[in-house]
Parts: sequence; C-alpha cells; structure tokens
Amino acid sequence: MHIQIDEIAKDFGTTTALHPVSLSIPSGALVALLGPSGSGKTTLLRILGGLEFPTSGRVMFNGQDATGLSVQERRAGFVFQSYALFRHMTVFENIAYGLRARPRASRPPKAEIDRRVRRLLDLIQLPQIATRYPTQLSGGQRQRVALARALAIEPRMLLLDEPFGALDAKVRKELRQGLRDIHDETDLTSVFVTHDQDEAMELADLVVVMSMGRIEQIGKPQDIRAKPATEFVRDFIRA
Amino acid sequence: MSDATLHKPATPARFRSATEESPAARWALIAVAVGGLALLVGAPLVIVFVEALSRGWAAAVTSLASRDAQSAIRLTLLITAIAVPMNAVFGIAAAWFITKFDFRGKAFLITLIDLPFSISPVVAGLCIVLLFGANSALGGWLVASGYPIVFAVPGIVLATVFVTFPFVARELIPVMIEQGRAEEEAALTLGATGWRTFRTVTLPNIRWALLYGTLLCTARAMGEFGAVAVVSGKIRGQTATMPITIEMFYNEYLSIAAFSMAALLTGFALLTLLLKTALELRHADALSATRRH
Amino acid sequence: MSGTPLIQRTAMPGLGVSAGITFFMLTLVVALPIGALLWQGAEFGAANIWATINRERVWAALWLSFRLSFLAACFNLVFGVILAWVLVRYRFPGRRIIDAAVDLPFALPTAVAGIALTALYAPNGVLGQLTNQIGWQVAYTQWGIWLALVFVGLPFVTRTVQPVIEEIETEVEEASATLGASRLHTLRHVIAPMLMPAALTGFALSLARAVGEYGSVIFIAGNIPLRTEIAPLLIVIQLEEYNYGAAGAIGLAMLAISFSMLLLINLIQIWSRRRIGHV
Repeated sequence: MHIQIDEIAKDFGTTTALHPVSLSIPSGALVALLGPSGSGKTTLLRILGGLEFPTSGRVMFNGQDATGLSVQERRAGFVFQSYALFRHMTVFENIAYGLRARPRASRPPKAEIDRRVRRLLDLIQLPQIATRYPTQLSGGQRQRVALARALAIEPRMLLLDEPFGALDAKVRKELRQGLRDIHDETDLTSVFVTHDQDEAMELADLVVVMSMGRIEQIGKPQDIRAKPATEFVRDFIRA
Repeated sequence: MSDATLHKPATPARFRSATEESPAARWALIAVAVGGLALLVGAPLVIVFVEALSRGWAAAVTSLASRDAQSAIRLTLLITAIAVPMNAVFGIAAAWFITKFDFRGKAFLITLIDLPFSISPVVAGLCIVLLFGANSALGGWLVASGYPIVFAVPGIVLATVFVTFPFVARELIPVMIEQGRAEEEAALTLGATGWRTFRTVTLPNIRWALLYGTLLCTARAMGEFGAVAVVSGKIRGQTATMPITIEMFYNEYLSIAAFSMAALLTGFALLTLLLKTALELRHADALSATRRH
Repeated sequence: MSGTPLIQRTAMPGLGVSAGITFFMLTLVVALPIGALLWQGAEFGAANIWATINRERVWAALWLSFRLSFLAACFNLVFGVILAWVLVRYRFPGRRIIDAAVDLPFALPTAVAGIALTALYAPNGVLGQLTNQIGWQVAYTQWGIWLALVFVGLPFVTRTVQPVIEEIETEVEEASATLGASRLHTLRHVIAPMLMPAALTGFALSLARAVGEYGSVIFIAGNIPLRTEIAPLLIVIQLEEYNYGAAGAIGLAMLAISFSMLLLINLIQIWSRRRIGHV
C-alpha cells in the first residue's frame, strides 16, 4: 500500500513535536525513520498507526484520505518498543488475539485461526513455543512473537517502533536479517523507527533522517552517505 | 474491512485515543463512582454532624460536658496513650528483628504478626476474656491479688493492642527492607554504638513511615468497639470508652449526646485522613503504603 | 533449608532486644489469648462444641454473616474496581478528595458508622423515608446489615487494584487497539485479566473483614434471632450470660472461618504470582 504523508504537524500543548512534514512511501518499501530522541520520528509513526491524531495535515493510503480512520480501522501491524505482549496469554493466544477480536461476522473459524497462527509461528521460526507465556521467552523471541501478532491481522502496513531497541548487540544483528526476510516475503509497506544509523542504512530501502520535528533528508542509504543534505545529517551519520 | 470505510470524510467527529473510553462512558463511570461514594460514605459522614447539631451547638457541647462523657473521653485518651506507644515500640523492634537479621521461619513470623487483622474483634475480646477472665486460673489469681485485667483498664489496653497489632510493623518492614543494611553497617564500622546507629541512621530513614503507621494505629485505637465491648464490661464511668459510651447514649435515646460524641470521633477520623493524605503527598517516597513498585 | 543455622550470625546489634520485645509482645497479645481460646475448646470437648454450634439459631447466624458478607464483598468488588479505574485514569474536579474519602471507612470508628447508617436509613431517617416509600425497608432488615458490611469493606478492593492499574503500560492497550479490538473488547480481555488477582485479593480481604464485623452492624441489624442476628453478636450474648463454653465454641467456628479466609488470600496470591509473574 502506498502511504502519503501530507503536511502533517503535531503539537502537544505548547510543545511542537512535528512541524509540517511531507513524505511519500512507495508500496512495498522498507523505510527507516532515523533520528535522535525527540526528533519526532515516533510521533510520526504513531500518527500513521492512528495512535495519535495530527494537529493538521493529512494521511493518504493508496490515494484516499485515511486521516479520520480510527486505530482499529487502520489495520496497521504495530510492533511496540516494549513489544507490549499480553502477559496473561500464551504465545498462541497473543498471536490469535487480533483474529479473535473481530466481530463474529468477519471472524475466521477456529480451525482457520489455528492454521494461521501455526503458519506465523513457522514464519518467525519458533514453531515450538505456542503454549509458553511471554515471561518465559528471551528478548529476541518476544520481539518475533510481537511481529507475528502484528502480522496475524493481515495488516495493510507494518509499523515498528525501535524494533531492536531492547535487545543486545548479537541478537540484534540476527533479527535484522529476520525482519528483512519477513518484509521480502510479505511485501508489506513497512516503516520502522530507529536511532541507530547502521541499522537504518543496512536494512532500509529508503531512509528518512529527522531532527527537532523536521525531516532533514530523504534518500537511499548510499545517497545519504554520499551526499548529506545538511550539517545535521553529516554529523549524525558520522557519529 | 471493506474499502467503503476509506471513502469516509477526512475530518473525524472527534479523535479518540486508543487508551480511553468514550466521553459518555467516562462521565457515566465518574458519576457512578462519585455518586456511589457520596451515598455510601458522604451521607453517613454528614448525618453525624447534622444529628449532633440538630438542637444547636449549645446542646451538643453541653452533652459532651456530662460526667459520663468526660470520663469516656479521658479513658479513651488514656487507652490510646498506652496502646499506641506499645505498638510503636513493638513495631520498631519487630521490623528491626525481621529486616536486620536472617533466620528461619521469617515468613511464618510475619504471618503471625498479621494474624490479628483477620480475626474478628469480638473473637479477639473473647480470647482475652478466656485468658484473663475471673473464670480462668490465671484470671482468678490476678483478681484475688488485686490486679483485675478483664472489666478493667489493662484488658481494654490489651484488646486495643491486639486489634491494632500489625499497623506499625507492616508499615516499617517494607521500608526497612528497601533501605537495606548498608547504612547501619557503615555507622557500626565508624565506631557508633548500636543505639546510636539506630537513633542517628535508622530512625531518620523510617520516621515518616513510623508516623504514618502510628497515625493509622491511633485512629483505630480510639475507635475500637467490638473487642472493647467484650472485655470492658461497659461499666459506666470506669470502663466505658468513647465508642462504648456512644452505644450507651444511643440505647438510652440520648441522640444528641450519642451523635455529639460520634462527631468528636468523626472529627478525629477526618483529621487522620487529612494528615495521612498530606504524608502521602509530601513523603510518598518514604512510605511503603504509597510505594507502587 | 535444613543445612542453614536457625539464625545467621551478623555484626548487627540489637538482636536480643528486638527479638525479645517481638516475642514477648507476640506471646502476650496474640499467642496466649488465642491459645486460651483453643485450650477452652479442648476442655469443652468436641461433642459439646458440636452441640453448641449445631443449633438452628447458631447456624442461622453463621450462615447470615457469611452470606451477607459475601454479597457485600461482591458489590465492593464491582464498585471498587470502577472507583479505582476512575481515580487512576480520569482527571476531574474533586478527584483528590474522593481518593482520600475512600479511606474513611478505615478511619471512622465502627460504632459511629453504625449509628450514622441507622439514622440515615431508619424509617424516619432522610434516606429511610425515601426507600420506605417504594416499599423497601433497609434498617432492621438484612439489607441494613448488607449496607453496613459494604461500608466497612469498601476501601479494600480499590486500594489493592489502584496500584495495579497505575502499573499497566498503556502500550498494551494500544497494541490491543492496533490489532482491531474495540475498547470494550480490550477492557474485557486485556485489562480485566490483569486486574483479576488484585481484585480477588481485595474481595477476600473485604469478605474476611465483613464476616467478623460487629460495631457497624448491630445498630442497624435489628438483631432478631434467625433473621437478623449475626454470628459475633451470639458470642457477645453468650458472654453476657457468662456462658464461656458456648461463647468459645462459636468463637472457634469463627476462628476457623478466619483461617480459611487467610488461606484463600494466600492461595490467590500464589496463583497470581505464578500466572503473571508478580502480585
């Protein structure tokens, strides 16, 4: 799905989190929102997911205005930094949650839910953990379960907030490739937020560098490396 | 989801956060909570003062000046002045023993200290009567020696200490666990005596928690009814505490007197709540009750 | 366990004094009196205890105390959770006062609560007049007892649930919403299970308190044998007749109920620790 961000701005009371920003995300792209904390990247991601409402501007999905769609209607697969897994549910119940929450008319039959959850567990290469609880999983396993849970609702896009932030360096490297593989397999338009320029450069098709609520530069990783548009970008990618 | 939803007009009626209920639901819940509390707690509070002042201030004050009322007030103050310090000393000692030393059966000891909270005050009073009453061997001997416990002040003190037993200890234990033993150990290596270490290192760290526990203990001690009703014998002018006197006045249809004394205790309860809230607001980090992980 | 010494040797001072005071007070105030009740029971004998309890009036009182305590705790469970939710999640004028007022039943002497509720709901009372008009008599009926028990147990659920609500990460609720769940679905399937252990603990505490409650109830109860006579009142009546054996027998029955409540509370906490990883 093609995502168009049109002059989106966001104020929290008197502080401005986002100055009007515009951005076009082609269908099937894997995009990184890169910047230091307070740059507005997470706010932008949350506006895409319908968790925040912009002060002004529009969000377009496939050319149609989606600004007024509620979170539920967006059908965005959202992976939270803390993963936000449901602690009182098993891995299976976590992944099945979105399907079971649907109104009866559109809810898949039990066997179908079962089949889909199994397939997702295979996709994240953890077929054996269905009956475990989140507290019994390693950090890397939790991240992959959160990803599978987001994919279960057959989302129209994948939004990830610092998906590797809570992991140690070694696991982080492994899971990067995992995310790339899943993206290539599902072909979902995906946006992830990161403050780690290596991660952004290695993983993304398109990198959006942000600072102080503004977009500093949009470009392919190699272009941003070769030709930083501003002083900030030069400093940030060198750091 | 069908594509039709995508054609909806761009501006939503009102954006609703994913973590909030609809405004209507929100106001309905607030109404239930505030209305329910006003009816269940607010109304009884107000009626105490309304009834006490139904014949004016003079009648209320006069009723409190009667001999029975005066002796009840004095007795309750006396009981509180004995029982609360006893509990404070016990609470400090128990908290010190439990948090500064490692021993087997600690969990069981804590359960024993908490036990009085789960026992009916009437049963607590009954236990004391059975132990010290004139019918028991021990009680008979004490009465013969001229030191009666039951139907006398010592019994009321014991009953009051029983029902307020865990208040100070359970407030201090979590706070002292949190603070660990390092500061005391440092003081000891610097040559301080045990008492000096307690006074200059431990006590400043636990003073707000101690005050908080003592406050709750005082409120309960002044208002205890069930246990005291059983052990006191309700002797007018001798063993009738304020709550017992309220019952006597009430049963004698002395409504103004009953409610005036109730208003006095209610005033004290309100003062307790005020102080407690102030402590929670200003010293939340030093209290276990408000420490929310 | 068996290999560790009874008490670890440390440099910390005050072992003798603190242990001494602790055990002296525990013995004098708690152990000896409860021991006296058990001793009395042993002397009275199992047959006599059973004969005392197995009378219609005693069964009726025990059943009444337990049943109304249960119903009051049920009300407090629902109302307490709503109250906790409103206090933590919403901002409205007077919130702090409401929060402080929740503790009033803890601070107010039970005898005061008893006469206040009776004055309100007596047939000529402010609220009693209203309820009597619709043919609903509260004072001197089981409704009155229930109301008094609701009052004394009111703070427990709110105070156990409040910290748990404060701890919920909003991301979990957001995750539920992004997965397409309606707010109601989120509340039922995500929030409610998280609050359940704390709410049940509060429920059990409220129940335990209500079963033994005396002061707030006797004024409004009417105290009619078989109908509105609570178990603690029976003990008081037996004692007033110097009937120590019978008083002890009923006391033992109530002690047994208290201990099973304590066990219940501990089981709930063990269960919740297993399930959620903390209390």
